[in-house]
This record gives sequence, C-alpha cells and structure tokens, in this order.
Amino acid sequence: MAAVLGLIVGVIIGIFVKPDIPIVLQPYLPIMVVAALDALLGAARAYFERSFSDKVFVISFISNVLTATLLVLLGNQLGVGSQLQTAVIVVLGIRIFSNVSAIRRFIFKG
Amino acid sequence: MAGIKKRNILNSMHIQHAQDRENDRTDTGSFPIVRKKPIRQIGGGIVTRLMTSLLIVLLCALLGFGYAIQLNNKTSSYETMSEEELTRLISETSTQVQNLQQRKTELTGQLNSLKASANKQQEAQRIAKENEDTSGILSGRLPAEGKGVIITISQGSKERIDAATMFQLLEELRNAGVEVMALDNVRVVTSTYISDTKKGLECDGEALKTPYKVKAIGDPQNLQNAVNIAGGVGSRFKVKFGADVTVTPSESVDISETRDVGQYQYAKTVE
Repeated sequence: MAAVLGLIVGVIIGIFVKPDIPIVLQPYLPIMVVAALDALLGAARAYFERSFSDKVFVISFISNVLTATLLVLLGNQLGVGSQLQTAVIVVLGIRIFSNVSAIRRFIFKG
Repeated sequence: MAGIKKRNILNSMHIQHAQDRENDRTDTGSFPIVRKKPIRQIGGGIVTRLMTSLLIVLLCALLGFGYAIQLNNKTSSYETMSEEELTRLISETSTQVQNLQQRKTELTGQLNSLKASANKQQEAQRIAKENEDTSGILSGRLPAEGKGVIITISQGSKERIDAATMFQLLEELRNAGVEVMALDNVRVVTSTYISDTKKGLECDGEALKTPYKVKAIGDPQNLQNAVNIAGGVGSRFKVKFGADVTVTPSESVDISETRDVGQYQYAKTVE
C-alpha cells in the first residue's frame, strides 16, 4: 500500500514539477528507473511468497540502483557505455520477466 | 558374553549405517540451502516500522519521480549521446542532405527544361500568329488600320481618266512603300487589275465611280511625295485629264475592305 502510494505521489510530482535534470545524470536515469522497477517487482514477489521484509526491500532497492548506475558509469569510462547499458537493461529485463511470471503464478494459483 | 558381543556388533552396524548415510549424501554444498527466515516477532518498535514504511514510500516516490521526468525529458537528447553516436548521426544527416541536394538539382534541371520548352512553344505560337496576321493583311483577308493617306481624284474635265494612269498611281504608291491599299470599295492586292470599259474604270470586276478614292496605309510623307512629285502621276492627272487630286494625310486610315482567299488549283502550301 505504501509502495503504491509512493509511486502515485512521485509520478504526480514529476509531472507537475518538471525539473531540469543535470546532464551528468541524464544517461543514468533510465537505468536507475529500470533497476528500481526490478527491485519493486522483486518486493511484490516476496510479498506474495510471504517472505517480504521491508528492510530487505529498502536495501535491495538502493543497491540495485547503485549497482546499475556504477556499472553504466564503469562502462562509460571504459568506452563501452552503450553496450554495457544494453547488457544491464537485458539482465534487469530478464529479472523483471521472471518476477512478473512468479507473481502471476501466485495470483492465478489462488 | 555372547549378548554383549552381539550388542557391540549391532552398535557398530548402526554407526556404520550412519556413516554410510553421511557418505552417500548427494548434496554438493555448492548450492547452500537458505532457510526461510523465522517469522518475525511482533513488536520491535512501532517507530522503526513507521520509519521503514516511510522509507518505502520515499523510494517508490523517487522511482515514480524519475520515471515521470524521464518521460518529459525529450529536449536535450543530443547532450547525452556519445561521440560515436553523434558522428554517425552527423554523417547520416549529411548523406541525407547530399541526396536531397542532388534530387533538388535534378528537379531544377527538369523544371528549367520544361520552362524552356514551354517558352519555345509560346514563341513558336507567337511567330505563327504574327505570320498569320502578316499574310492575312498581305492577301487582303484581314482588315487593316494605320496611318497613311486618303487620295481623292475627281472626274477629269478634259478627258476620262484611263486605266493606265490609275494603274500608274497604284504603282507609284507601291514604290513609295504602301502596305495596304483600297481603291473605292476594292481591296488592292497583287492580283488586282484595272481596266477601261465604256462606262468608266473597272477594278477587279467592279465598276468604279467618280470621284475615285484611294485609301493607302504607309508613311504619309512618302506617299504624299510620290503623288505630288513634280512631273509625277499627280501632275499627269491634273495636266492630261484636268482632274483635281487631293492627298489628305491621316493618322488613322481604316481599310475594312477585305477579299476572300482564292482557291488555288496548282499551288500547295509547303509544310
């Protein structure tokens, strides 16, 4: 409930405020969003498995975002930024898919 | 004794069995079994629970916020591109520009040639029209108008004016550069003739009445001179026939007499 509430509040603020994101941050923001989404879906799965822990969620959220950002930063410094970005997106995408399928199984089994 | 020994054997068998079980385990240890966390004890401070759920709200808000501003962020997409991407983009764009320029050149050439041909056609049409007008006037098919002279010749008091002198007048006018002529109601063209009859002069089959009136389009000064020149046709009219000749220059001589184009039997137009 708190997560949904937070999402809605964040989207509304983002729509109405429209801040200027610094150029340094611009390439990382989409990756951050995807990583956070992955963490959120993992939390949802854990919730359905009745093993949700808010502490774990918060830590995994932050670590996911940080890892993804650092990975892309590393890639940019090594000159393979776009490739590594793709790799991160692919991995996160696979995780999101598996999380979603687990959630679906929980929902439709009863 | 026997009982104790038996028990010892049994005991060692048990031990052996236990050892065997341990040795026969298929778990590799590479995949450690993570136990489910024990169910959390209820309590642990309501403040911490509130804090964590606030943190969750904050994180999710951050996620939504990032998502929303990423959605709105479309303006400065070039700034985040890497050097190679920008190079590729610029080369693609310049190739496109080149292609478009080439296309433009082609189309411009086509347009120019079309314009030129249209002009040529127009020019040809204009010349044809001009020719038509000219030959129409020459052949007497079209009425004409322009500056020239009107010559009036009264009936001769001494003698009747003969055809030869009238013809001489026409010839003099022709030499003076007349462009269109009409004698009374007859348009004078190349095939015009004048003949004497018992009743008077006849021009192209029509009887002429006195006073004879010649309308001529051309340079008025030249035409006037041609008639009035000393010893010329004008004085011949006066001296020989006793007729009055008046030459009136006019800014606008209107010759509305026309003649039909004859049917040619042998001559054909060259295409």
